[in-house]
Amino acid sequence: MTAVEPRFDAVVHAPPRLQICGLLAAVDTMEFATVRDAVAVSDSVLSKHVKQLEDAGYVQVRKATIASRQRTSLALTKAGRAAFDAHVAELRRIVGG
Amino acid sequence: MTGGTPLGGEPAVDPQAAAAHLAALQADRAALADRAMQPWWYDALLGLMTFGFFASYSLWFPWAPVVAVVLYGAGARWLMSVYRRLTGTWVSGDRPGPTRRAWRVWTVCSVAVLVPAMVLELLLDVRGAMAVAGAVLGIGIVLISRWWSRIYIAELRGER
Repeated sequence: MTAVEPRFDAVVHAPPRLQICGLLAAVDTMEFATVRDAVAVSDSVLSKHVKQLEDAGYVQVRKATIASRQRTSLALTKAGRAAFDAHVAELRRIVGG
Repeated sequence: MTGGTPLGGEPAVDPQAAAAHLAALQADRAALADRAMQPWWYDALLGLMTFGFFASYSLWFPWAPVVAVVLYGAGARWLMSVYRRLTGTWVSGDRPGPTRRAWRVWTVCSVAVLVPAMVLELLLDVRGAMAVAGAVLGIGIVLISRWWSRIYIAELRGER
């Protein structure tokens, strides 16, 4: 396994984006509603932060209609996963790990 | 949770804040782990579908495997949607990380069971070989699926 180069990322770090990235890093995709409940923010607040992550190329948003209900799922992109891993490595470096 | 913002290109995060961020991330993962295990019937259905798919080759009707592929595909999609609805997430079986060892065991077992069964059934006309292989792999996928989930949950809880 190659070591991750620690790198602070302001886009990832800002609350609650770090939390969003942390959740998405553990899965392939996560439903918008599941992220919202875990982060404990409103739909509009989550949408705003997801848009920022999407603009940075870190998150991909997919919409699908299942049983006449629209479901939105979120996934970290390869760049997002790399940025998150590097940011966590930087936090660990700061802690002294 | 407090944190700093980059000032002059340098992150203003002190060790205590960084440790708090890391602890919060771990707590979120642990909460995710609590809902990650699929119900037993999910694996039972997966096992039955796997048995049915491979056993269809023992029916010796040319269309049976084609029907089985269609049914297996539809069933797999349905199970995927059920898992998404139950957990709000989806995780690929072959994702990188500790769960890869369960995936590798499944791949090796599948080849080890299927190759001899296909030779027996399709080349040597031993009827029922693929049905036996289907039963073995059906039980195998149930056990490996549960094992895979336990590894994943342990990883989320930081127990690995």
